[in-house]
Amino acid sequence: MNVLAMILAGGTGPGLLVLTAQRPDAAVPFGGKYRAIDFTLSNCVNSGLFNVAVLTQYMPRSLNEHIRAGKPWDLDRSQGGIRLLHPYQSHAEDRGGWQEGSSDAVRFNLDVVRESRCDRVLILAGNQIYKMNYQPMLEFHRLRRADITVGALPVPPYQSHRFGMLTTDPDGRITRFEEKPRRTRATLASMGIYVFEASVLMDILLGPGRNHRHLGAETLPWAVRHKRVYAYEFEGYWTNIGTISAYYEANMGLLADIPALELADPRWVIHTPSRQLPPVLLGPEAVTTSSLYCDGARIEGTVVRSVIGPGVYVAAGAEVRDSIIMDDTVIATGAVVDRAILDKEVQVGEGARVGTGDNIPNSTAPTLLNTGITVVGKRAVIPAGAVIGRNVIIRPRATPADFPADGVPGGATL
Amino acid sequence: MRVVAMIMAGGEGSRLTVLSEQRAKPSVPFAGKYRIIDFTLSNCVNSRIYDVAILTQYRPHSLNEHIGIGRPWDLDRMTGGVRLLQPYQARGSQGWYRGTADAVYQNIDYLLNRDADLVLILSGDHIYKMDYRPMIAYHEEKGADLTVAVMNVPLEETDRFGIMTVNKAGRVLEFYEKPKTRDKGTLASMGIYVFNVPKLIERLTEFHQKEPNLDFGKHVIPAMIHEDKVYAYPFEGYWVDVGTVDAYWRTSLELCDPNSPLNLWDPHWVIRTLSQERPPVKCSAQGKVVRALVSNGCTIHGYVEHSVLSPGVYVSPGAIVRDAVIMNDTWIGPGAIVDKAVVDKQVLIGAGVHLGWGDDWRPNAERPDWLDTGITVVGKGAHIAPNLRIGRNVLIYPDVDEDVFSVPDGLIPSGATVTPQAVLFPPATPAVVAASPTPATTVSTSPAVEGVSGFAQEVSS
Repeated sequence: MNVLAMILAGGTGPGLLVLTAQRPDAAVPFGGKYRAIDFTLSNCVNSGLFNVAVLTQYMPRSLNEHIRAGKPWDLDRSQGGIRLLHPYQSHAEDRGGWQEGSSDAVRFNLDVVRESRCDRVLILAGNQIYKMNYQPMLEFHRLRRADITVGALPVPPYQSHRFGMLTTDPDGRITRFEEKPRRTRATLASMGIYVFEASVLMDILLGPGRNHRHLGAETLPWAVRHKRVYAYEFEGYWTNIGTISAYYEANMGLLADIPALELADPRWVIHTPSRQLPPVLLGPEAVTTSSLYCDGARIEGTVVRSVIGPGVYVAAGAEVRDSIIMDDTVIATGAVVDRAILDKEVQVGEGARVGTGDNIPNSTAPTLLNTGITVVGKRAVIPAGAVIGRNVIIRPRATPADFPADGVPGGATL
Repeated sequence: MRVVAMIMAGGEGSRLTVLSEQRAKPSVPFAGKYRIIDFTLSNCVNSRIYDVAILTQYRPHSLNEHIGIGRPWDLDRMTGGVRLLQPYQARGSQGWYRGTADAVYQNIDYLLNRDADLVLILSGDHIYKMDYRPMIAYHEEKGADLTVAVMNVPLEETDRFGIMTVNKAGRVLEFYEKPKTRDKGTLASMGIYVFNVPKLIERLTEFHQKEPNLDFGKHVIPAMIHEDKVYAYPFEGYWVDVGTVDAYWRTSLELCDPNSPLNLWDPHWVIRTLSQERPPVKCSAQGKVVRALVSNGCTIHGYVEHSVLSPGVYVSPGAIVRDAVIMNDTWIGPGAIVDKAVVDKQVLIGAGVHLGWGDDWRPNAERPDWLDTGITVVGKGAHIAPNLRIGRNVLIYPDVDEDVFSVPDGLIPSGATVTPQAVLFPPATPAVVAASPTPATTVSTSPAVEGVSGFAQEVSS
């Protein structure tokens, strides 16, 4: 059985605010040394799938840098392996140009499906954090002689409005599909991952579904009515890092003594291009409670309940609490970072306070940023002594001149 | 000008005791995630030398695993790249390498095939960062046949090195291999040579007829000084031979100092290694780590101070690790104490074990010359039974099982040796009670040196 995995990695990830200002959500750093797409890519190779296409559109440069020829996943192969599929121009009317959704993305790349001579296409999302062996799902698909199999997991009723909800018969065949319903009796949610018979995929997207733009919202509901569509129930940890709070919770979840998502699993290694950095150096006054540290980090101050990325420097007398600090960020003496997400190469000046005061929801994104998390964009330079409130957004590459002298109040966006 | 590098990596490093029992010295882990040879290999590629041969002989398996096809060093190339050169049989000729120069002599074909003009002979045993390009430029500028990298060493250590005297132009006048007297100066050979390939081939072929155990330090260099143009290239910088357990331990723990003389963070001189795919270091709520170098994949529930931890070390709740070097995937049980020790890979230290116990600093009875500074050494894969007290200068062999440790009072006294069969107790003499030797806080400027490769001693011993 020949399977092609297509990973949708073109998402703009609007819920991640400045973290996706210059990268797709699939390329957002996660758990210190990883990026979101590492989980899906590693699932593929750990499931024995070595024919993988990554579909990009939004700001793909950091994803290209990350994946390159696919070495860390052993996907630098002469047969199959990894390829990055970018939007392209075409004279054909039914393809080419910018993609408006996942159906578009797959349709524009059906040539790859045809030429890879695969029997089945596994469509995956690049922004999900989970460990899953896809082989049992493929086997389920084969045994049910399904046209399409949807990865599904149970969710509590209050979350049903975020998902496509599925109703199945006892055999697992989907009888009803509701897209993000406010009320429903269904408890099974679509994970947004699908096994398609390759021929069925081509028939739908070039035939009745040629005007579909979104797989979940348009193609799948149509298919439920006209094709044999089954739900494969996944049991295990799964999260979609679509929002800042989901992203934050998923990172913090790694800090538990026995985390729901175990990264130290020798039989299911999450592969990533490890940077060539020395081990973590902890100084004489370092405090290191309940945290993760990546190679190249140097900790001389206090770190509590935080995820510290590669090459981060926390100076003596600095304090980092309940935060996510990405690669090569520097936190100077006396600075305090509390409940914040600092993107790569941020500089926090001496004595600066990031995340302080009352929990006032962010003025520009009140629904996304209201739990007290302050987000600082890549390469922002926070001047010495600056005071920055909670739920604040600092744009990438902000310079000290951008900061008001009396500080950035809670809920502001810079 | 085509330059190839040949790295001598056959050394046994016998004074590293059990650390080099199952691997060649260049393959001994160092600074957490590295192996000793990574420094020389990284120097090569950072100096833009992409044609590298590694000559192996003693226990090469771990080195072969580590080097693979040379990916971490970008040496997996179509042209050039890394080659492992093992001893081989040929019609009517010998097999083993019988000296450093003999090893090169047996691989002259490699030099000819590579069409090399210059060959850089290196040792895989040393920890240092060096750009070889200025040395090669110096060699060409002087029109030399052979250039030897030299550095000044303390006068009292000159008997461990090849010592040379030079004239103002840098030309070597005399060479004394490990001189007994102190009047020869302090300019020591680092075992790093640049040869003109035709001259090297000519000389090796000539010398080999008289001396089959051909060695660069003992035979080739002294003989060439009088007939050929031999120059000394002065090197200033950090350079250490971690030839003994004490030097190894001391040099490792120096890296816990944020101002350590060996800067591993330099983005312009990255030390590359085969990084294991491990998650970040995890320090739990009760875990605490100070003054330490800790690699990816470690889990810390206990207390770690002034120690170097390789990937995957697990420190259980209540355990204390102090002044220790702990290698990959070693498990330290609940409440165990490890004090002043070097613990190899995949060791299990049972709950409540106190490794490095007491104030008796008597040297190891079996090998007093190797273990006399209070460091207890545990070999790869040893399993230490729970609740034992183990003294200082104890040597525990690889793969020792729990049952061997059934001893009276659960005490392995200082100076004992634990083999897979039995515990060898030291003779019953009074304890040597002394203050603990000072921990490594200063730069080790007195590296112990053990020849350049160890090929020769292989045969003599």
